[in-house]
Amino acid sequence: MSGIHLFVPMLHVRDAVGEHTRTLRDLLVADGVESRIYTETLDPDTADVTRPYLDYAEEAEPGDVLVYQMATRSDMADWLVGRPEPVVVNYHSLTPPEFFAPWNNWIARHQARAASELRRLAPTAVLGIGVSQFDAVELRASGCIDVIVIPVANVRIPPVEPEGAALAALRGRQENGPRWLSVGRLAPNKSHQDVIAALFVARVTTSPSATLTIVGSPSEPTYARALQRYAADLGISGAVEFVSRISDAELAARYTTSDVLVMLSEHEGFGVPLVEAMLNGLPVVAYAAGAVAEVVGDAGVLLDAKGPRRVAAEVAALLADPERRNALVMAGRTRLAALGLDRAGSDLVAALRRVADRASDAAGDPVLGGPVRPAAPLSH
Amino acid sequence: MNAKVVAVMADLTEPSDQSGPRQGSGPDGEPRTALPADERSLLEAFDRLRPQGTLDWNFDDAVRRLVEPGEVAGRPAGWSGLPADLWQRGRSTKASERVLGDVVKVLAQDLSEYTDRAVSEGHQVSANELAELRRAALDAVRFLAARVERLESAVDRVGIRAGQLDLPDFDGSEWSGAAAGWTAARADLPVVTGELGDDALLSALVGSGVRVEGVDPRGAVVWATEAKFEVGTGRIDFVVTEVVDYLRSLPDASRGCVVLGGCVDRADLARKMDLVDEARRVVARGGSLVLLVTDQVAWDASLGPVVRDLLPGRPLHPETWLAVLDHRGLSNPRWLRPSTGVLHAVVAEVGR
Repeated sequence: MSGIHLFVPMLHVRDAVGEHTRTLRDLLVADGVESRIYTETLDPDTADVTRPYLDYAEEAEPGDVLVYQMATRSDMADWLVGRPEPVVVNYHSLTPPEFFAPWNNWIARHQARAASELRRLAPTAVLGIGVSQFDAVELRASGCIDVIVIPVANVRIPPVEPEGAALAALRGRQENGPRWLSVGRLAPNKSHQDVIAALFVARVTTSPSATLTIVGSPSEPTYARALQRYAADLGISGAVEFVSRISDAELAARYTTSDVLVMLSEHEGFGVPLVEAMLNGLPVVAYAAGAVAEVVGDAGVLLDAKGPRRVAAEVAALLADPERRNALVMAGRTRLAALGLDRAGSDLVAALRRVADRASDAAGDPVLGGPVRPAAPLSH
Repeated sequence: MNAKVVAVMADLTEPSDQSGPRQGSGPDGEPRTALPADERSLLEAFDRLRPQGTLDWNFDDAVRRLVEPGEVAGRPAGWSGLPADLWQRGRSTKASERVLGDVVKVLAQDLSEYTDRAVSEGHQVSANELAELRRAALDAVRFLAARVERLESAVDRVGIRAGQLDLPDFDGSEWSGAAAGWTAARADLPVVTGELGDDALLSALVGSGVRVEGVDPRGAVVWATEAKFEVGTGRIDFVVTEVVDYLRSLPDASRGCVVLGGCVDRADLARKMDLVDEARRVVARGGSLVLLVTDQVAWDASLGPVVRDLLPGRPLHPETWLAVLDHRGLSNPRWLRPSTGVLHAVVAEVGR
């Protein structure tokens, strides 16, 4: 029996692409579709649910559809270019290498190669799925002919309940100033340093006791260390808390006990923390880069510039105006419905099923005799 | 500390001159240069923590464009590309010799062999493709040259920069009472004090009624000091940069007085002379140059052997400074001994 199989370079837990992939696999299986996850590199935490991608050749069935979860470089990409099955690229945005270059040239080179891989793979894909219009534009620019937008499938609706003990501990904290929250991997494109700089200005101007919690795994360690050093150099290390490897319930407790989500990322393909904040009734102040504006819409304070003084002033103004704050929280709820996150999973399954149906028809068609797929560019 | 960072720390408490919130709009590529100097300085303090900078990447990217297969159609196969350690070969205190004699030579040879082979194998290479190759090669050399400049400007054989060593802050408070006298003759012009040292001296300078420019390469010191003064009133401003770089940025005879402390102690002899020469240049006729110099015995006693050995310089004796200032043509150089502290004052005027 043919299936819709998912390919991802590495399957991580507590990782946006990893969670999206696992959620999609579960939805496909629940819909009666055979679906396996193939990886290039084994993650011990998920080893029981993945297989080496090179094993797929032995397990291939006529009518299979291969879905590549693309967010980084992998040998898988060129391997998929050479496969006869229809390939769908589920694109989660590639962070441009320039963000990593000052911190880790190896990663920067990695991302540059990923962009080359996308340019080779995208023209051969039967369908490109961007998680945002921003990503869809990149997919089309890379040569993908048929592109649709379906947001990420792993946002929990209704949201996860906050963990009780964490909630109590956070509510029992001594400091009584505004609590800023910034969520995202500690990677250079996330620009957490801009939030720290804004907090510094806030503390010397309007909010001397404001604090900041940064939740995110240190995916680029040198950058993560620099963030801590920066806070120390500015004399505010006591006001900036770094938190990583927490559960969804603990993260929900952070959202619940904060006053504002400040997101000043320079490059976002979607921005899951934005919708998590909306789900938890937390107002958002965000820099309108990448997909941020299309995700937030009118449900947050969108900044077209993010100088630290400007950010500090925007946060202070928002927190001083309960009416506006509540209006934004309410707008967030409306926005969530408009984004269609609750049906993202079913939309994704339906889109993939359509591709699979076409592939099955083609596989059984005595004239076509195989799946319909654009030819790879001649130069490759 | 990046010496190129020159930013006036304006009053952070002043309201932003940027417009209010724009909901539903996107960023329009806001350049950092559009920010006020104090905010720029705050953000640049983080840039200085980046371990690799962008030169390595730019060079690497240029080389990638040269060697990556498939980027330019019609290239002959078989070229293995440039040596993997090419970039590292420039990592030397004799950077310029190494780059000129080795890296660029390898680059030129390999490219020549490659293009020769392309011709001999009869490849049809278009003018556009050749132009792209030439651009990439020129970029590679350009970024290497920039790397050489950077290495030459920061030769540090030990690998420990002076800024990383734990040095005592100089305490100029003993000379607060004399400060008004130093600035009186040209109170119509600003006074530069670098580095910042003790607040009492700064307060005295501000109190004397002149406009003060406080300069220090340590951002944290500047921000901490700034918080204690009413900046933005036109009485005092702060700049995060090396003192000598700040002085170089000033016009001739544009300041009424320059007070140097800290930097004149730990800099090497050449940098000490640069400081004095630049200060001499920017002080107007009738203005003063003041050197606050740590007592040599006290200096040696206050530092551990590691710091003492690795610092590029140590304080000159006040008599030596007198000789230097005299040689530089300053008027009436005099040595004022401390009554309680360890900081000597060497004062001279720029002749009328």
